[in-house]
Amino acid sequence: MKTFLRILAGLVVVGVIALLAFVFVPVKRSAPTQNLAADWQPEEGQGQYVMYAGDCVACHTAEGGEPLAGGRPIESPMGTIWSTNITPDPKTGIGGWSLDDFRAAMVDGLMPDGTHLYPAMPYENFRFMSEADIRALYDYLMNGVEPVENRVQATQLAFPFNQRWGLRAWNWMALSHEAGFKPLGASEMQDRGQYLVEGAGHCAACHSPRNELMMQDGVTASQKTFLAGGVIDGWEAPALYGPNSTIAGWSVEETANYLATGRNAHSAANGEMALVVEHSLQHLTDADNLAIAAFLKGKDAETTEVAGVMKAMPQPEADAAGEETAAMLTEASPDMPLGPRLYLDNCSGCHFVTGKGAPEIFPELENNPMVVSAEVGPLISVILNGAEVPSTEKRPMKLVMQGYAERLDDAEVAELVNFLRSSWGNDAAAISAEDVAKVRAAQSTH
Amino acid sequence: MLPFPGRLMFNPLAGHLPMTDIPGLPSRRSFLKGSAAGVALSALATSASAEKAEAPVSLEDYKREFLNDAEWAFVMAATARLIPSEGDGPGAIEARVPVFIDRQLAGDYGSAEDWYMEGPHDASASPQLGWQTPLTPAEVYRQAIPAFDAWCSKTHGDVFAGLEASQQDEALTALQNGDVELQPEVRDFFSILLANTKEGYFADPMYGGNHGMQSWVYIGFPGARAAFREWPERHNIRYPLGPVSISGERA
Amino acid sequence: MARQEKKKDVVIVGLGWTGAIAGIELAQDGLEIVALERGPDQSTVPNFKYPNQIDELKYGVRLKMMQKLSQQTVTVRRNEDETARPYRKLGSFLPGNGVGGAGTHWNGLNWRPMPEELKLKSYVIENWGEDIIAEDMTIGDYPVSYDELEPYFTQFEKVAGISGYAGNLNGEIREGGNPFEGWRSEDFPMPPLPRTWDSQKFHDACIASGYHPFPAPAGIASTAYVNPYGMQMGPCNFCGFCERYGCYQYSKSSPQTTILDALKRKPNFSYRTHCEVLRVEMAEDGKTATGVTYFDEEAQEEVFQPADLVILSSYQLNNVHLMLVSGIGEPYDPATGKGVTGKNYAYQMNGGISMFFEDDNFNPFVGHGANGTCIDDFAINQIDFGEEGFIGGAYWRSGTFNGQPIRNMPLPKGTPAWGAGWKEGIGRWYGHAMSIGSHGSNLAYANNYLDLDPNYTDRHGRPLMRMTFDWHDNDLRMNQFMKSKMEPLAKSMNPDIMQVGFKGPGAHYDVRPYQTTHNTGGHIMSETPQEGVVNRYCQAWDKHNVFVMGAGNFVQNTQYNPTGLLGGLAYWTVQAIRTQYLPNPRPLV
Repeated sequence: MKTFLRILAGLVVVGVIALLAFVFVPVKRSAPTQNLAADWQPEEGQGQYVMYAGDCVACHTAEGGEPLAGGRPIESPMGTIWSTNITPDPKTGIGGWSLDDFRAAMVDGLMPDGTHLYPAMPYENFRFMSEADIRALYDYLMNGVEPVENRVQATQLAFPFNQRWGLRAWNWMALSHEAGFKPLGASEMQDRGQYLVEGAGHCAACHSPRNELMMQDGVTASQKTFLAGGVIDGWEAPALYGPNSTIAGWSVEETANYLATGRNAHSAANGEMALVVEHSLQHLTDADNLAIAAFLKGKDAETTEVAGVMKAMPQPEADAAGEETAAMLTEASPDMPLGPRLYLDNCSGCHFVTGKGAPEIFPELENNPMVVSAEVGPLISVILNGAEVPSTEKRPMKLVMQGYAERLDDAEVAELVNFLRSSWGNDAAAISAEDVAKVRAAQSTH
Repeated sequence: MLPFPGRLMFNPLAGHLPMTDIPGLPSRRSFLKGSAAGVALSALATSASAEKAEAPVSLEDYKREFLNDAEWAFVMAATARLIPSEGDGPGAIEARVPVFIDRQLAGDYGSAEDWYMEGPHDASASPQLGWQTPLTPAEVYRQAIPAFDAWCSKTHGDVFAGLEASQQDEALTALQNGDVELQPEVRDFFSILLANTKEGYFADPMYGGNHGMQSWVYIGFPGARAAFREWPERHNIRYPLGPVSISGERA
Repeated sequence: MARQEKKKDVVIVGLGWTGAIAGIELAQDGLEIVALERGPDQSTVPNFKYPNQIDELKYGVRLKMMQKLSQQTVTVRRNEDETARPYRKLGSFLPGNGVGGAGTHWNGLNWRPMPEELKLKSYVIENWGEDIIAEDMTIGDYPVSYDELEPYFTQFEKVAGISGYAGNLNGEIREGGNPFEGWRSEDFPMPPLPRTWDSQKFHDACIASGYHPFPAPAGIASTAYVNPYGMQMGPCNFCGFCERYGCYQYSKSSPQTTILDALKRKPNFSYRTHCEVLRVEMAEDGKTATGVTYFDEEAQEEVFQPADLVILSSYQLNNVHLMLVSGIGEPYDPATGKGVTGKNYAYQMNGGISMFFEDDNFNPFVGHGANGTCIDDFAINQIDFGEEGFIGGAYWRSGTFNGQPIRNMPLPKGTPAWGAGWKEGIGRWYGHAMSIGSHGSNLAYANNYLDLDPNYTDRHGRPLMRMTFDWHDNDLRMNQFMKSKMEPLAKSMNPDIMQVGFKGPGAHYDVRPYQTTHNTGGHIMSETPQEGVVNRYCQAWDKHNVFVMGAGNFVQNTQYNPTGLLGGLAYWTVQAIRTQYLPNPRPLV
């Protein structure tokens, strides 16, 4: 109830500001950030590559539907937002759009008729894309994609969420940054990474926090809160940049491995990030994944190849923080408490008594962001339902962790979670069986 | 990738919600396509592991799936001698081996579903040529038990289940040694019965025997744990931790 | 009338190890490929997942991963005077079923043959003369040498992710490895796994006796591993559930862990499950195959799959059966020695000693299928055949595996099989026994062969294949020789009790107890079409667009587990197809 009131208050503020905005600000499209010759042509494959980098397929493709033909429902408590058809079909897609129309959608969130897109479209981020990439993408969508006639269900939210004028006001504040990319200039490699991260990759959409008006708090590297960690739907999108980066212990190469394959010596992608790897990052060049990693880590890569093959990777030993837990588990004493017992009975096969897992295949649990996150839903969910790392070109194996919903009851999962969150030096708050019950119930009702 | 989740967009305080409000879904996509799986999951979800489960029905009240009264009496009596209750470790009765045998015979083992059962059959073929009887394991029990009971009645004055323990042991020994005249179709009855008894003693409890994993505890087998990376080089140290079953039961 | 599918460039019969290898290698050439698999699809999750896979009754005893004999089997007799009876219930050997085939449920022992084994006949003749080869012994030379195959053994070992330590690295003998093995161009892709207590005791006893112990070459990952296809294995945790099980841990080398997910990404590759191939169809001129006819389980109908190239990569027994029912090669006739298909069926001659140590704890459930220390001091190339009076050899191994109580409860002789004494015995001895196994050669004989059975048919009306097989004195003498050498070694370890299990003179083949799933021969390789079914590239002599994979190519069995050799042969064959056959389809020899 309290939450609802706060939302309502926020919306009132939005409404008032919007009214003012309506009065004073005319709708205006941003100009191209680069003057390209009228006969400029993208390089072969450039547009499709931009499409991959921007992960357009993720939202603009329905489950089982034609690629880019829209119709994917994006759930919200206020109603469902339906993604649009961006194939060049003149009636139901964007076949009738001019380059200027397209650019306005990408960088200003404007439809050709001047109405506003719902900001499920990350134009806050696409605003940093180069004119060349925007044109290449336009060219690809117009000429490289078959038109698909698919009239997408109109998004109909309940009042007041069906009022696009609110978004106009929102845009007015959210898009206060100029269109166009401003490199930090650390190195050519890191600048390229920054460009991909800030622009097409739209990493900030999840990995930056949101302010009270739900704007991305930190859209460029020059902002302190940039990629400082966000929360989406109860899942923590970990901090990737700055002092609290959760990938501080990863090398540039390991980071690039993760991007290209969803796995590295420390971790494995799941949830939304697994989809990003599957649909977007695995299609980027090694140079670009290394560039992204180099930018995030503030250090140029020393290799040119990502995720090489023919590797035997020694098993990591327990470190100082994990020694005590590892020693206790190794003894396998019958009088150990329930938490470690459940760990030995269910988890140690793959994650081992060291909590270190195994490189590129079994994620480490020591200091694992999901394990120690304040958001415990994902950890509970993975234990109950398992997780899956997608098949990628460089690591084709679909890695699946099985779920334990049938084997462990709520109290046992809670004991196990509390063991994980307090072992190998992990120090996160305890949870209860009720927390588990709610995750279990939420999943079984959907 | 969901660039700007609608849920979050209208829920500015999502990060500050009490944990209990978290839906905890792995992704929007699985959420959207997961309805059927979710229903299946909820149907399967067991909320209690075995130690919290109610005690099973007594063997007397157990509702049989295959064995008739006389067969059940025989299996109860015979398994009780094959793995007796006296001494250390559970006996077949404590381990509920008869339940296991009944269920196995009712299932695809009993009906030899996976086996080649086409004729012609030569039940008298060399034993080294393997299973040659036309009978399924369930049929072997069905035909052999009355034949053996008849032999017991003739030789010892009562059906097997009615004999004293020492007579039962004698009768089983005779059966084992081939001193009980049986049709070739059921000549392997003793070895099948003994094998099934040991299977029921040691199999995962979900099959009805090895009740409470007592047999595993007795010999020191850790059941379905299957995770011993740190143990190969712990030379000559007895592994101490008790077993876990497939369903998560602990002992 | 059979439904007809769209023509493919290649049809692969059976999607196990060799079918997967053929698929992924030929897919690189852009060929349109379809694989037909009799059994179900199988992936690590859900099919092998923890904890459901850790079920001894279902998989170890009821053998639910194996070929269903109700669907397909053989008949067996020991000699021509006996009437062959169906192998109705699994026992002696366990052919696999489903995607991954036997590669999912093997133990993971991945050996190369010795160079001498691939030219056995000339090795014997050169050293002892032809006279020591018994008249009914039909041994031969493989038409391909160890040196030729070495790069392909290496390739298979890289793909399959083998752990071990090379004893002969480019001719340099390295301490701690097998000094008697053929040369290796590279060390194993992964280091060896740690030694369990029994393995350590055996190792120490071997050293004390002057033998040369080395870690078993294991298709079990000692570390996390990425193979040449980018496929991955996780480090083995010694869960002990290898043989008869799929590996839940991604640790065991299998088509699932090392090839299939990479193969499934190839747009020009597809596979159909529950499709049992019934026969290879022939062109009118009889010189080539036109495709295969299979039974589609779902549609319950026969389907013709045309293809330019047919690769038979099902299990050895099934490959031979298909060739017999399809008329590939002339059926072998033991009376005349003429004909080739079904010839030189061979198996494996094993024995061992169990030792009981009341005060030692072996934790038999801690292990893996390829666990242990081995010696090759009594291998084929270490024995004076003239002196000892037999041809053959064996490797020995000791290491815990399969320590599950229903099927692995060794008890000292004299312990009752049931009753109070049995119960007392299992409490006293479980965990206190170890064993040494001898894994020996089985040579080829004129009267060990495969043909079509006159009495029994399968559900499609095809005659079952008949196996005529029994032990021969040569191999039994070899086994007794191993016994005579192993007993002193076992005694030197001072067990409280030991018992010896080696077949001796007069022993006959018994289909009931599990022995090995190393059925070999039947479509053997040969220098000439008169001696075997396929040439040195495993190409059918009489049907040049049919290539045949697997242990059926073995001229006689080696002393080792067959996977390393058949994996190497598969890469050798596929390379010949890619570089020689595709540019110019023809008989390659």
